[in-house]
Amino acid sequence: MPEGRYLKDKAWLYFPFFAVVILVSAVILLLPYETVYVRERVYLEMFLVTVVVCVAVFFIGTLYNVLLWAHGKGLSGSPERRVLGWLGRCIRLVFSRRFAKLVVVFLRDAMYLSKLKDRSVTRWLMHLLILGGFAVMFVLDLVVTFSLDFLKYEPMISEDGWAKLWLRDFGFDLVGAMMLAGLLIAAVRRFIQRPKMVRTELPDAASILFLLAVVLGGFILEGMGIAGGIPDHGRNVEYSFLGYAFSLAMPASAGEWYDHAWLVHAIMSALLIAYIPFSKLFHMIATPIAIEVDRLMSKEVRTA
Amino acid sequence: MKKLDISKLDVLAMMQFDACTRCGECTATCPTGGEAQDVELVTPRGKILKLRDFYRRQYGLRAKILGPKEIPEEELKELTSRAYECTICGQCRAVCPAHLDTIPMWENMREFLVANGLAPLPAHESIIKSVENYGNPWMQPRVQRSRWAKRLDKEVKIKDVLKESCEVLYFVGCTAAYDPNIRDMAINTAKVLAKAKVDFGTLGNEEACCGSTLLRTGLVEEARKTANKNIAMFEEAAPSLIVTSCAGCYKTLKQDYPKIGKVDARIAHITEYVLELIDSGRLKLDGRVDGRVTFHDPCHLGRHNKLYDQPRRILESIPGLELVEMERNREDARCCGAGGGVKTAFPDLAQKISSMRVEDAERTGAAILTTSCPFCYQSLKATIEAKGSKLRMMDIMELVAIAADAA
Repeated sequence: MPEGRYLKDKAWLYFPFFAVVILVSAVILLLPYETVYVRERVYLEMFLVTVVVCVAVFFIGTLYNVLLWAHGKGLSGSPERRVLGWLGRCIRLVFSRRFAKLVVVFLRDAMYLSKLKDRSVTRWLMHLLILGGFAVMFVLDLVVTFSLDFLKYEPMISEDGWAKLWLRDFGFDLVGAMMLAGLLIAAVRRFIQRPKMVRTELPDAASILFLLAVVLGGFILEGMGIAGGIPDHGRNVEYSFLGYAFSLAMPASAGEWYDHAWLVHAIMSALLIAYIPFSKLFHMIATPIAIEVDRLMSKEVRTA
Repeated sequence: MKKLDISKLDVLAMMQFDACTRCGECTATCPTGGEAQDVELVTPRGKILKLRDFYRRQYGLRAKILGPKEIPEEELKELTSRAYECTICGQCRAVCPAHLDTIPMWENMREFLVANGLAPLPAHESIIKSVENYGNPWMQPRVQRSRWAKRLDKEVKIKDVLKESCEVLYFVGCTAAYDPNIRDMAINTAKVLAKAKVDFGTLGNEEACCGSTLLRTGLVEEARKTANKNIAMFEEAAPSLIVTSCAGCYKTLKQDYPKIGKVDARIAHITEYVLELIDSGRLKLDGRVDGRVTFHDPCHLGRHNKLYDQPRRILESIPGLELVEMERNREDARCCGAGGGVKTAFPDLAQKISSMRVEDAERTGAAILTTSCPFCYQSLKATIEAKGSKLRMMDIMELVAIAADAA
């Protein structure tokens, strides 16, 4: 392949890719974060820098994994060119009649985990709680951030607003509790019951412990906030039902450590994002893609 | 440093390697890795993680930054050997919660190993040479291929489709054509077709190996050559239907040939076609066959092609026959252990798996164990004899021929 063409393919992929990364980073850095109740502004800045780096690492790691797939059978030209072709096909698919069918496949096979349910209800529930919790938390996070920082939606800001109580307090606690329950089942199964089919090596243990630390850390942090009565955690605490339960076991002085705990939790969450493409957690991205590609090649979707 | 050539790995397979959740669901039911010998590297999860680790060491982000790492020869050899201990039965696909399409994945893994000079195994080389030189994997001369039909000379007229046109082409397959213990499968199939007054014929001595053995062992180019010979003859004979009595040939003709060339005729397994003949009233099963029968689902027919009901409906149509199911049946059926080149390279392992399947059949209390694949038949029959089991191994067409009063 001519060198010029090769460089052109790379440019076509990497320029838009890094433009997206820069855009996402800019949005992260430029949001006002008026409702983040961390007293030390420098902590917020430290978190933002970390999260920008981690998001970039996540994107680069994911792109590299996808480029590795592109080295497979039938490659003519550069892997970058092939990835560009895939992106083009993805865009066309979104506007095709098959898209609805693919959404159904995604919800049924990748999210609801239909096949696992038939094998074992416990394992299905465990996965569903973790995956469902993670997915809903991601969506909730986007909704809350958008309504807080872009729309300045009052019911989301006000301490007595319905959106604050039901989405920010109850909603986050509910999905967090789902993830925590799923992770605890997974931890008990992996480290205590140890059934023969479970193979525990460093990547398996690291993923589960990392997730547990982040989720559990979130509730401990919320408990500290409630116990210490810091802003945004003073009223209607029962909506944050699990955070409130944690706060009952904490002294009021826990609030003094809130900022430090917030920074630790925030940085761990950011690191978790960066860790995904390099860990077994990447299956959260690869599995839905593989399912969709497989179905696209099958009669079920091809003829839709 | 020897760098692995990953350009032979399927893109979807590479996506699926990353999609593997490491849950281990496949390890419990894998007949070779899990049930027969408990070796992680033979299980789907073991193979996926090892192969992915190998190519990531040479092509991953770390390799890009710090340079690729050499993969020790012994590790490569071990993975190769273990990869060939798989019967490609597809049980892992049936249970995988991540919906990994493992059957093409294992075939592709072997293709990759061949492309990298690590395979085929020495045990498979004689098969490859035999297919190349004789057109069959059994080292039998081409002129002997249609010998099985001699016994039918007076009873049944079998046309040569390359000389006379006919509606149905019966693709006999190498095992039924050459193995003296399995020839009855071809004979009974021909008798049943004749009884239903089907206008059929065969390719005679010109029929070439379908290429299944080559495809399952990763020799795609060699398989393509033999497939092209058959495809050219299909085109010349131009039947409207091609029927196979071998599950392996059926899978190859149905799933692999369309990727190699154009086959205009419909491809059907004999169980599909015989059921159509029964349903349309062309074949009447009036003869009684008293006894209890259990059906073994061949992997190539069942999990690979989802043909579960047809053989069962045929058996249920035979007066006097009582069909009882093994605990593991249909999609969950245990493999007979012979497929994927395992019987050739690892006969003891194949026997061990086959033994488990015979025990499954024994537990049903059936007197007859039947199937619709010459390979399964061969393997299960040998085990029944070795174990001194009271089971009687019968091919499904043998039962049909008796019931149709064609035997």
